[in-house]
Amino acid sequence: MGMLNLVLTNISRKPATRLYPFEVRAPFKEFKGRIVFNPDNCILCGLCQKKCPPDAITVTKADKTWELNVFRCIMCTECVNGCPKDCISISNERAKTGAKEFIKIVVPIVDKPKAAPSK
Amino acid sequence: MTTVIPFGPQHPVLPEPVSLKLEIDNDVVVGVLPSLGYVHRGLEKFIDTKDYNQTMYICERICGICSGIHGITYSRAVEKLFDVEVPERAQYLRVINSELCRIHSHLLWLGLFADGFGFESLFYECWKYREDVLDLLERFTGNRVIHSMSKVGGASRDLTKEQIDQILKTLDDLEPKVKNIEKVFVNNYTVKKRLVGLGVMSKQLAYEAGTAGPTLRGSGNAIDVRNTADWDIYRDLGFKPAVAKEGDCYGRTKVRIDEIYESIKLVRNAISKLPNGEIETRVKGFPTGEAVMRAEQPRGEVVYYVKGKGTKNLERLKVRTPTFANIPSLLLMLPGVKLADVPIVVLTIDPCISCTER
Repeated sequence: MGMLNLVLTNISRKPATRLYPFEVRAPFKEFKGRIVFNPDNCILCGLCQKKCPPDAITVTKADKTWELNVFRCIMCTECVNGCPKDCISISNERAKTGAKEFIKIVVPIVDKPKAAPSK
Repeated sequence: MTTVIPFGPQHPVLPEPVSLKLEIDNDVVVGVLPSLGYVHRGLEKFIDTKDYNQTMYICERICGICSGIHGITYSRAVEKLFDVEVPERAQYLRVINSELCRIHSHLLWLGLFADGFGFESLFYECWKYREDVLDLLERFTGNRVIHSMSKVGGASRDLTKEQIDQILKTLDDLEPKVKNIEKVFVNNYTVKKRLVGLGVMSKQLAYEAGTAGPTLRGSGNAIDVRNTADWDIYRDLGFKPAVAKEGDCYGRTKVRIDEIYESIKLVRNAISKLPNGEIETRVKGFPTGEAVMRAEQPRGEVVYYVKGKGTKNLERLKVRTPTFANIPSLLLMLPGVKLADVPIVVLTIDPCISCTER
């Protein structure tokens, strides 16, 4: 008898699924969608690279670049919590399909003037 | 004359690559030989390359269904090495995460089980309800399946007032829905005809075969790791293990349905008692020594063994997963069962082969 009730309620209800490409559910506020990097305050310390479990982040001091392999990233937020300058944040927007594998960002860091040689 | 036929690794009924060689005599199973190792990934060796904080993420990936509890158990094992006391709020958050995991795992299993005995509309019904719980977990932890909520020293995410209200509201909606499907599983004539008296294990036999989890409790043994000294917090929350006396497939189904109610009760109690304060203690230094930690997963008891050597990597990580303990019981249940009933008996131990072979 229980199943008959379920079937009858389901007949008069709208479908439980969505017509996905036309009808998209807004992502939850807390959803870990993708990593956003703000290069302005970055000091190229490389802590994010050190903390990243799947080795998705590469920081190159010589070229002043910060690179993220989007396909390797597991959204663990270790880098977000570990960044001393709060450069890395997380957005609730899902990474789009067909996204590029690598995100390479040049950090506008100013080289400190070298100390004048002591005379 | 007996015939040997392979069952799995690919089988239309089971999503898991369980592999058995069945010795059949006149459509009745007379002998079973399991073969493990089909989806071995070498995760226990892989931890050599990661430090002990990062290993948590590897442990979560041992299983896709009980990932949260794998992470929590690993974190607790390493905390035992460091002898660190985790803040009380973090412990409660872990309980909420584990119990929500258990609800979604049992609803998933009930659906797969219904599909296994050919009741497709019931399968859709169970998975529809499971989706609500997955949405809750997504709001709570930020991910649908691999939650990454626990970390060594506490929890990485806190619950806000809004999220707590959402969890309570969804659980209030979920309880009558589970009651609806419980009626079908417990009272339906067709379902009972298929499950009662199938794959029977007596109380004594289940205990002696080292069975774990709902398979053990379905045979009348009230043994649950949440009831032991390792998990004092569950006693404060008024936990009682769900037990069924039948010892057959029907009994195991009843245990899992009762556990959903028990988990809903535990989440409500944990939320009502949720203390304020920190959610994380800083863990410093490198682990040394050995520790063993047990936990109750949806499928049964998981055992984590960790050994540190004073460096940032652990020297050894060993996981004994519940399905590995349940396979011997499967070998005792299957003889005497008809070939058409084999998938159902295999499903009642809720096999997770990816867990078992790691």
